[in-house]
Amino acid sequence: MLGYLVKRLLRSVITLFIIVVIVFVMLRQMPVEGYFNDYDNMTPEAVQNALQNMGLLDPIPTQLTRFIKDFVRGDLGVSYRYRVNYPIAKIVADKAPLSLTFGGIAMLIGLPLGFGLGILMARSKGKWIAGIGTAYIVIMQSVPLAVIYLVIQLVFTSLFRIPLLYSSSNPRTWILPIATLALPTIATYGLWLRRYMVDEQNRDYIKLAKAKGVPSKFIWYRHVFRNAVVPLVQLIPASILATLSGSIYVESLYSIPGMGGLLVDVIKRQDNTMVQALVILFAAVSILGLLLGDLLMVLVDPRISLTAKTRTR
Amino acid sequence: MKSIRDRRTEKLANNVSEYTEQALETIRKMQETAQTPEELKDIDELSEEQMQMLSPEAFSRVAFDKAQAEKGGYSDYSYWGSTLRMFFRQKFPVFLLCLLVLIVAFTSVQPYIPGQRDANRINDNEITGVPDSNVPPSGKYWLGTNAIGQDLWSRIWFGARTSLYIGFVVAFADAVIGIVMGLLWGYVRKLDFLFTELYNVLSNVPQTIILILISYIMRPGMNTMIVAMAATGWLALARFIRNQVVIIRDRDYNLASRCLGTPTRRIILKNLLPHMVSVIMLRMALSIPMAIGNEVFLTYVGLGLPITIPSLGNLINEGRKIVTVPSLHFQLIAPAAVLSIVTISFYLIGNAFSDAADPRNHV
Amino acid sequence: MENNRILSINDLHVKFSLRGQVLHALRGISLDVLKGESLAIVGESGSGKSVFVKNLNGLLDNNGWIDEGTIMYYGLPEEPEGINLAQFKTEKDWLRVRGNHIAMVMQDPMTSLNPLKTIGSQLCEALNLHQGLSGALAQAKAVELLRDVGIREPQVRIRQYPHQFSGGMRQRVVIAMAMACSPRVLICDEPTTALDVTIQAQILDLIKDLKQKHHLTTIYITHDLGVVANVADRIAVMYSGDIVEIGTCEEVFYNPQHPYTWALLSSLPQLGKKDEDLFAIAGTPPNLFFKVRGDAFAPRNPYALAIDFLHRPPYFEVSPTHKARTWLLDPRAPKVEPPPAIKAIGNLKPGGEQV
Repeated sequence: MLGYLVKRLLRSVITLFIIVVIVFVMLRQMPVEGYFNDYDNMTPEAVQNALQNMGLLDPIPTQLTRFIKDFVRGDLGVSYRYRVNYPIAKIVADKAPLSLTFGGIAMLIGLPLGFGLGILMARSKGKWIAGIGTAYIVIMQSVPLAVIYLVIQLVFTSLFRIPLLYSSSNPRTWILPIATLALPTIATYGLWLRRYMVDEQNRDYIKLAKAKGVPSKFIWYRHVFRNAVVPLVQLIPASILATLSGSIYVESLYSIPGMGGLLVDVIKRQDNTMVQALVILFAAVSILGLLLGDLLMVLVDPRISLTAKTRTR
Repeated sequence: MKSIRDRRTEKLANNVSEYTEQALETIRKMQETAQTPEELKDIDELSEEQMQMLSPEAFSRVAFDKAQAEKGGYSDYSYWGSTLRMFFRQKFPVFLLCLLVLIVAFTSVQPYIPGQRDANRINDNEITGVPDSNVPPSGKYWLGTNAIGQDLWSRIWFGARTSLYIGFVVAFADAVIGIVMGLLWGYVRKLDFLFTELYNVLSNVPQTIILILISYIMRPGMNTMIVAMAATGWLALARFIRNQVVIIRDRDYNLASRCLGTPTRRIILKNLLPHMVSVIMLRMALSIPMAIGNEVFLTYVGLGLPITIPSLGNLINEGRKIVTVPSLHFQLIAPAAVLSIVTISFYLIGNAFSDAADPRNHV
Repeated sequence: MENNRILSINDLHVKFSLRGQVLHALRGISLDVLKGESLAIVGESGSGKSVFVKNLNGLLDNNGWIDEGTIMYYGLPEEPEGINLAQFKTEKDWLRVRGNHIAMVMQDPMTSLNPLKTIGSQLCEALNLHQGLSGALAQAKAVELLRDVGIREPQVRIRQYPHQFSGGMRQRVVIAMAMACSPRVLICDEPTTALDVTIQAQILDLIKDLKQKHHLTTIYITHDLGVVANVADRIAVMYSGDIVEIGTCEEVFYNPQHPYTWALLSSLPQLGKKDEDLFAIAGTPPNLFFKVRGDAFAPRNPYALAIDFLHRPPYFEVSPTHKARTWLLDPRAPKVEPPPAIKAIGNLKPGGEQV
């Protein structure tokens, strides 16, 4: 078991390392304008001096080592265009909690509703309620979220007179963004839970449980639901951590000053160091989410803890 | 309850097919040799008295016919025949397919229809000479005009054309890259480690981040967009192809086939190719709405196409500005509707096709 | 005769609807199962033997239904006149007999246990339902059951998960689970097919022992004639959703009457001669989406008569315990010699005589 944990951890570290190297090297190829706000007014000497001071003229391996050392200590470097010479870690620390709060609450609401939807659909296969559920899931899965969110906002602006733009002091303005954020979560978890429940339902052990006289309500909750939830558990940490990067759509629609759109902002301003830091940070968060998901699986699936080599999926 | 069963039973009676025709032929032949009394001909199970009426000829031996013995089982099964039959049995997806064909056909011919306005032309009012901006849908502008007086009807079809073009190109690129990479990954054992590592890295990073990063590094535009989407889109297909290739070597039924002396070419053609082709088609069908969605996303974050090339993403993005002005909602509703119809159709057709292509659903 | 039946099935027709087509899976099965006997149902895949037993505990797939016929069960003390299982509609009805009257052992022990629950909790689930035991009492009983089916160190094993057991051991656990319900009838659906040859005999012996100890009635479903010879008192041979021949083990093995039974027995590898190809039945079973006319085996039957293609044969009685559905037994039929391999089995019988 310990072997498995170490291996899995190592795998994540290696993946992250590869991503850091690729992103770092790629961004070093970008034009140097991306480090200055008033590049046009600078003499070439001034540019060279400044680059020298930033350490950007060192050989790339040296820069990379420095970056990784700082990264491990939680230092993401400083921004040169978005907020001049301001530590990126601080920018993130200011904005991330709000995104995480919104995303977290939306997950808290969306997860049980999604599970409810999945159970309801698996149990009422072929009935009209399952049909409505399917329609909802199909729309959420296929139509771009931008369109769905815009239509929701459009409907609410015409129907209700509640203030639409977020204001930290008015909790009523939190409702719509959170509800909107929860919608895709409900669809995703509902879809997968239903699929897994239908799969489980046809397994031999379910037939045997029926044959030994277990009433179907026990079969549904003790066997089918329980076993179907296990593979979903793997996804939950990644879903929660993903909210850290914020929803570009929702945050921009409701003017929420969170992480969503930060990456877009710095791309528009061509702030190289911030693009680099954010891309690496988001990749790290995603890797961490998948890692936590796998570790969580060890707790809920007895088959994994002993067979270190084989992953279920 | 009973009535449903009766209907099912009736259906059974109507199930006349080649096999029953053959069987009926045999029965007719046998009836002649058996000299069965006319009144017994149509009765399967006989009563005691009826059995007494049978002629001794009925008990004559019949020559064994090997072809007849083989005939009894499952009739000629054709994978693609069954797949298409199963697909066309699903009414709603077939309806959507027709709709989609119509939309694609119309967007392609729309610019050549006489009387259509140019999508980028700013239409001035004939009387006042100022641009016809924000005109609601009318006989003159079927879907109204936007803030600078461009005709939305033309823009929407232009946009649909752009988005579908991106969708098809990306789907095609995904398929080609996915197949080539998958084959290399599976066949060239030396590359296995490299590809597995690449897969791990790419699948660990959210796709939106990769999209944004590539768009940042390259200049925004149609090609950048397609490259960015195709950069990650091939992964799933490559992995699938790779697994299939490995299966060619290892799987039990192929092992069984090989033991029976089936040449590898035949195994690939009969066992693996149909399955592969159906998965590839499903992937392509699903990557079209995905690409259209990504185009909307990239436009939304400011890395999309210039507004002189209308796309569905552009139109949606423009609609964002008027979301708080109820009188202008028509500018958003029409592109949103076209976009939704197109993406939902591809999604549902893809899924319906993959259901139909699953041999477990074939009778 | 009347009182010693535990199950009595009469003219059972089962149909399935598959993608708008109807499949006639069971075409009028009649069968009595006697108390305490061991009945084997043999037939090739697709002959409907599994579908048949699924009717006995209400596990028919949702797209299948009983079209006609009765299944009388005489084991319920409160229903001395028997109860018709074919009329059970709701789950509540079925819970009266599932497990505690009719239990089941399935083919693949690798998939018939919940992989995410301990053996103990799965055993206790049954004990709780049928014997009202819970907590430490249930645990103790579960340990006892595991010991009964020959699992060593049951106190340790009870806390383990299915993946920690080998195939044979899992099948023992499945059997223990069936016994936890204390059933009267035990259905064994190909109980040894998925196991190693060396384990097969052990499992069959275990079931035989438990049958003796708990006065069980056992119904085996199998296509393995070796298993049949080992365990069965009586044999029913199924072909295309119908029982074509039924009799005691001796009668069916040494004096088979139906050409299908001949064919089935001839395909036993033990009867094959060195350097000769094994016997195989020509052709494929009929497609049950189409109405079968006459004897379903006729097209594959080298001994077919003209009438086989026209009318379904009735049962002809060979002895009070032995009957077969074949026109060959009609007095007007020509005398047909069974294939030599069948005669060879007959000669194997100690003091056997030819009919």
